[in-house]
Amino acid sequence: MMREEIFLGNGAVALGLVEAGCQVVTSYPGTPSSEILPEVVRLVKSEGLDTYVEWSTNEKVALDNAYAAAISGKRAACCMKQVGLNVAADSLMSAAYIGTTGALVIVSCDDPGPHSSQTEQDTRLMARLAKVPVLDPSNPQEAREMAKLAFDLSEEFKIPVILRPAIRVCHARQNLTYGPLKSSDKKASFKKDPGRWAATPRFRFILHGELNEKLRKIARRFETLAAYNFHDLEPGKKYPLGIIAGGVPYSVMRDILTEEDRKDIPLLKIGTPYPFPEGLALEFMAACEKVMVIEETDTVIEYFLRDREKVLGRLSGHVPSEGELVPQVIYGLVSNVLKELDLKPLTGDGDQEAFELVKGLDLPIRRPTLCAGCPHRASFFAIRKGRAKAIFTSDIGCYTLGLNLGGVDTCLDMGAAITMASGFYHAFAQDHVEQPIVATIGDSTFFHSGTAGLLNAVYNKSRFILVILDNEITAMTGMQPTPGIGIRADGSKGNAISLERVVAGCGVDFIEVVDPYDIKSMSGILKKATKYVKDPAGGVAVIIARHPCVIANRKEAIPEPIKVTVTEDCVECSFCLDRFECPALYKDEELGHTAVNEILCTGCGVCLEICPKGAIVEA
Amino acid sequence: METVNFVLGGLGGQGILFMTKVLAQAAMKKGLRAMGAETHGMAQRGGSVISHLRLGDVESSLVRTGSARFLLALEENEAYRNIPFLIRGGSIYANAKKDHFPRPEVKPYLDKKGIIYRSVPAEEIAMSLGTPMSSNLALLGFFSAFREGPLTYEELRETIDQVSPDRFKEMNFKVFDTGYKEGSKERS
Repeated sequence: MMREEIFLGNGAVALGLVEAGCQVVTSYPGTPSSEILPEVVRLVKSEGLDTYVEWSTNEKVALDNAYAAAISGKRAACCMKQVGLNVAADSLMSAAYIGTTGALVIVSCDDPGPHSSQTEQDTRLMARLAKVPVLDPSNPQEAREMAKLAFDLSEEFKIPVILRPAIRVCHARQNLTYGPLKSSDKKASFKKDPGRWAATPRFRFILHGELNEKLRKIARRFETLAAYNFHDLEPGKKYPLGIIAGGVPYSVMRDILTEEDRKDIPLLKIGTPYPFPEGLALEFMAACEKVMVIEETDTVIEYFLRDREKVLGRLSGHVPSEGELVPQVIYGLVSNVLKELDLKPLTGDGDQEAFELVKGLDLPIRRPTLCAGCPHRASFFAIRKGRAKAIFTSDIGCYTLGLNLGGVDTCLDMGAAITMASGFYHAFAQDHVEQPIVATIGDSTFFHSGTAGLLNAVYNKSRFILVILDNEITAMTGMQPTPGIGIRADGSKGNAISLERVVAGCGVDFIEVVDPYDIKSMSGILKKATKYVKDPAGGVAVIIARHPCVIANRKEAIPEPIKVTVTEDCVECSFCLDRFECPALYKDEELGHTAVNEILCTGCGVCLEICPKGAIVEA
Repeated sequence: METVNFVLGGLGGQGILFMTKVLAQAAMKKGLRAMGAETHGMAQRGGSVISHLRLGDVESSLVRTGSARFLLALEENEAYRNIPFLIRGGSIYANAKKDHFPRPEVKPYLDKKGIIYRSVPAEEIAMSLGTPMSSNLALLGFFSAFREGPLTYEELRETIDQVSPDRFKEMNFKVFDTGYKEGSKERS
């Protein structure tokens, strides 16, 4: 029976994985990839399939787990965001050489913009670096089809294959129809062959040669893969300008050329940027005097085009090297090129007047902020108050928004709150300077990559306070469970991992657990921790600030809401607005002082502790 | 059918995604091709949120500036922020007090471009019905009263019926219908 449903792009990827009979799916959440695994779970449950799914503790763990299944003859996938692939890079590079017996598909989701990432890096370059094929879908339906192609390629050539949907594929919505789903029935079988699976450097040289040969064969296959690599040249015709595009920019370009009815501009789509279908590109370039390349986010296709004289792109300054290529940007770039080449212009005016108008309105910039009732806000308030002179190293998650509260000075990558704290400690200690340092890291991020840094810090005698902001969930990416609560990806019960025991296992002797809603206790423990860090016998002090996320678990987070109000004692000092920044507190112009927005207020009651004039009281 | 582009703007947590879902689902039920683009991640924590929806035969999920037929805004400033998306002759539906909207500085531009602007105090409606987080449905009901675009009041209502969890259904209808009534009053 066929069904029609509006899928999120990540759901379309999940559908493609399940349709391909994928038996093992592992993932670590990260925008824009987070919804793939939950969508796999939804489809698998509705069909009663026995697909193995797991939230792994990090991306490297996810890749290794899927890889083992892929060398047991199974079809396996692991899903992550583009910077997650950095974490898994060590595995990826090696897996490319060794290859598979079954299939390994790595879904790595890019974030041009960036909207929710620390870089705009291009997974296609990572594929080139690792020497594995990469498929670049333009929309959800294509991502779904390419997922199946990826498995077939991987299985046929015994090589990991990357699928890289960009954010506008992941978070697009499209209606798709689908039929019954079935998983592959391949049974696990591992044939011992240490010369391959545990190859020493001398044999790696041979494996490298085999890998190169696989790529040559796949490149030939891609030359004729007409479903994803194609152009609309008319035979024998010459064109003053042609456009080469891939991924999301291809779909935008296609729409623009259709809307503008520009049959005089041929378009070459590259759906498989590596290994590059060079023959097809040469054929296209031969028919065009100039070729414009539009791709996100880096230069991959452009690097593969040898005749630079013809190419208009990033290297020639015709396309910006940072930022998302949204439709109006692409429209403007093509407009400029048409003008430069003295060709018929596009019809639109670029909407400059509207942009100027909006710019002149001075609209408030809406920066993201911690939710009303967020326990992190309480933690940051106490930390900032108690250790004002400290360097605040922090990490990736909702709590990066502690920036707004003056509680975050650095955010490098997953786990760096701890590693940078020890780095800062030694940098200052070397000069005999006693620099206070407070690191903050979320529970999920700590499980992801906190332990190696923490045991390193203890081993190397660093001194700082580490606050683990334990809200018992991976909140920013959409409320995925953590090892700490022990709920697994399919909702079943796993074994909960105790943060306290992990921290103790890293060699930490000072461990205190506190509820950050209780600002007084939190402040008291911070004082105690400060003493410990300074004590000759002290070291790293770990405070676990534990309170459930208000969005994930409102009832447990705030069992008895407290109604609060602001009295006439408010002197409009704005201390609460600046340093506490609760969305429910605002300056009421009519009242002439701060007030509480009852819709937004969660009743956490933490603000009762913060007003210097005591003007925030129970109603 | 000619492509119909929607842009929906608001702040994180206001229910932009739900509103988009209702429109997209109703379109699918009608046999239309729907493509949309959403905001997830960091921006959802109270920042500006925008959602694109395109009905018709298109490849890309993003609406280009100067091409949206409808702008539905759950917050007044987000309505202004997204003005560049509107096509000549498009329409704005905003959650804002009647006599306040739009700001005088933007009127000449909207009038010049033949852009229609309508506003309804959607948040007040939702609040008066005791469900402050449902201003999205009030605005959607209001929009449906003007019978613009390919989706009717009945079709949207039926979709709300399908996508609302049982315990919210009755309230969702109430808010949606109150918005619709406000719009009907204005239309007649």
